[in-house]
Amino acid sequence: MFLADRRAGEKVRIADTSRMNELVKRRLLDFGIMEGSAIEVKRILPLGGPIAIEAGGQLIGIRRSDAKLMMVEVV
Amino acid sequence: MITIALAGNPNTGKTSLFNRLTGSYEYVGNWTGVTVEKKVGVLKKHGGQLVDLPGVYSLNPLSKDEGVATYSLLHDQFSAILNIVDASQLERNLYLTLQLLEYGKPLVIGLNMIDVAKARGIRIDAELLSKRLGCPVIPIVARSGAGCDDLTRKLAATVDEQNPFVIDYGQTLEEAICQFASMVPENQGLPPSRWLAIQLLEGNGVVRDLLVKHIPVSALNEWMENTEKRVQEETDFKSIVHYIRIARGRCIQSLLASSVTNEGSHGTTLTDRIDQIVTNKFLGLPIFLLFTYLIFKLTFDWLGTPLSDGLDEFITGPLSDTLSSWLHAAGATEFIEALILQGIVAGVGGVIVFVPQIFILFFLISFIEDSGYMARVAMVMDKIMESIGLNGKAFIPMIIGFGCNVPGIMAARTIEQPKERLLTIILTPLMSCSARLTVYSLFVGAFFKQNQALIVLSLYLMGIILALTLAKLFSSTILKQESSFFVIELPPYRIPQLRILLQSTWEKGKGFIRKAGTFIFGGSVVIWLLSYAGPGGMDVPMDESFLALIGGSIAPILAPIGFGNWQAGAALLTGFLAKEVVVSTMNIIYVAPDLPTLQGVMADFFTPLSAYSFLAFILLYVPCLATVAAIKKETGSVKWTWFSVVYALLIAYIISIVIYQGGLLLGFH
Repeated sequence: MFLADRRAGEKVRIADTSRMNELVKRRLLDFGIMEGSAIEVKRILPLGGPIAIEAGGQLIGIRRSDAKLMMVEVV
Repeated sequence: MITIALAGNPNTGKTSLFNRLTGSYEYVGNWTGVTVEKKVGVLKKHGGQLVDLPGVYSLNPLSKDEGVATYSLLHDQFSAILNIVDASQLERNLYLTLQLLEYGKPLVIGLNMIDVAKARGIRIDAELLSKRLGCPVIPIVARSGAGCDDLTRKLAATVDEQNPFVIDYGQTLEEAICQFASMVPENQGLPPSRWLAIQLLEGNGVVRDLLVKHIPVSALNEWMENTEKRVQEETDFKSIVHYIRIARGRCIQSLLASSVTNEGSHGTTLTDRIDQIVTNKFLGLPIFLLFTYLIFKLTFDWLGTPLSDGLDEFITGPLSDTLSSWLHAAGATEFIEALILQGIVAGVGGVIVFVPQIFILFFLISFIEDSGYMARVAMVMDKIMESIGLNGKAFIPMIIGFGCNVPGIMAARTIEQPKERLLTIILTPLMSCSARLTVYSLFVGAFFKQNQALIVLSLYLMGIILALTLAKLFSSTILKQESSFFVIELPPYRIPQLRILLQSTWEKGKGFIRKAGTFIFGGSVVIWLLSYAGPGGMDVPMDESFLALIGGSIAPILAPIGFGNWQAGAALLTGFLAKEVVVSTMNIIYVAPDLPTLQGVMADFFTPLSAYSFLAFILLYVPCLATVAAIKKETGSVKWTWFSVVYALLIAYIISIVIYQGGLLLGFH
């Protein structure tokens, strides 16, 4: 299942990022977010807007389209 | 002289610390990418140089401002590095620290925001951390200055060599690193080969560019391919980048485990609660618009206008009278008296009266920047921006552009995609800057007394809507691109400090005052002389002056858009210098002693409709001289610079003709 399918407040672990855009992956890596990282969905903006996720105390906004490509598993 | 580089993650307070240590003032904000160029300052205590680099997450650059930092570390001569680390985000910040330590230059760590960390229940044993990293670690609070003296002392003491920090990357990689070391030529002043090897494997383009000057590309590629293959065969990692990341991550985890205790409770923080409101499903956009509206109300109706009126009364009343009596007493000729009172006082004074409004606007923009709301605006706007071929980050330069287009254009550097960046640079001048505000204030006071804030807001919105429309047009025609991407950090909110807000406001506003003393002063003198002299000699009627001649030559072109008189033509021509000069020119041309008289005289030349058309033209027609220079510098392209001037002129003419002719058809006048 993908990050975009999860609801606000849910905690998940990133399982597979191989389908995601390389640049997005690189930037997330800068924040220490990669396969195996635990993240929490904080906010989902309306009308297909970005998703705010929390990982290691940092709040990061990513696009819904990228969240649709990030495979996650429930912890 | 010693030179120290100041490096750290974005938004960790580097610039605050820079200002503390050097006593100078640089731009501070609470969003990623405030510093887009390196800045140099002189250290207060021992006279060395401190270089403030743009914030980076790692030494492997992704956007232009990050490239500046890595390039500078590689090519400039530093005696030491001051690494500023956000204590409340230690894990992520240490990632850069490790890369800097591997680089092997003497390093001092400033453990910043130790107060924030403490409040979140994070306790850091700085001494133990220092021992394990092999470099000084000084807890500080850059915003208040706590610990900064201690830091300065440590910096002065650390100028000798330091051994690079070594992370165990596992047998496979260690062998490859050894092999690489034999390829690197000695005595070329290159960084440690171990560091080069790891950065190269991570795909660092700046390091690669440096290495190809010393090592044949084929050898580099072969070594990289072999290493990548071995890592894939001998470990269960798919990519070497991931592998290195994990190795560093493990090292960081062990550092954290020994020197950090986290007893924080993760309840709902203040940031959570504010975010629930400002990025709310339904309220996010309306709240942003409400904020914008409040800013305008404060700047124009509630606070700014009364202050400006007071200043105007002072300049045209007591100040002019005093000057006049002095000039009489000193026996000045009529020419000198006219030059000073009708030229300089009218021209410069006419612009100075808007200082209160401009400073209020800058103060409010600083407040938004420092609070952390800026990144939320970028996020709320991303969906809209994406649909027109930009990303939410492009909205930040545009907001800054409301203050002044020049820093707005600079702020576009944080946008990673080159085409999105170019598009943002070209469109930022459509954001109505504070200089244009002076013209609006003058006109709305004369023609739209009842709806001042609303009319001005409509002009700002016109700029935004046009920018968005043109972004869509350009991004689907001349600036097409395959993929756009958006990842943004949302910093915790903080309450802006009055001291920092005032500093920021002054920093932004002082340029305006400086312009009044230089450009506008000089411009006023020249314009007055042109209006005083004509083909028929000196002291001619204004209508027969050189200025009337010059302005009159473009008046026919301006007739279809509602202001085909030489006065408007002359004002527009001089407005290219700086848009405030339009106000100076009008003050001189209409020989008005004060604001109410000027506004009265203007009614003879403009109708409300043509005044609105004129304002739209002022908003759009050409970016001012300083902005054109910034566009040239940031795009590095004469072609795009010309493009931004020409399209603006075209758009201005089209919009004004629509407003004026359309307005006439609808029965306005």
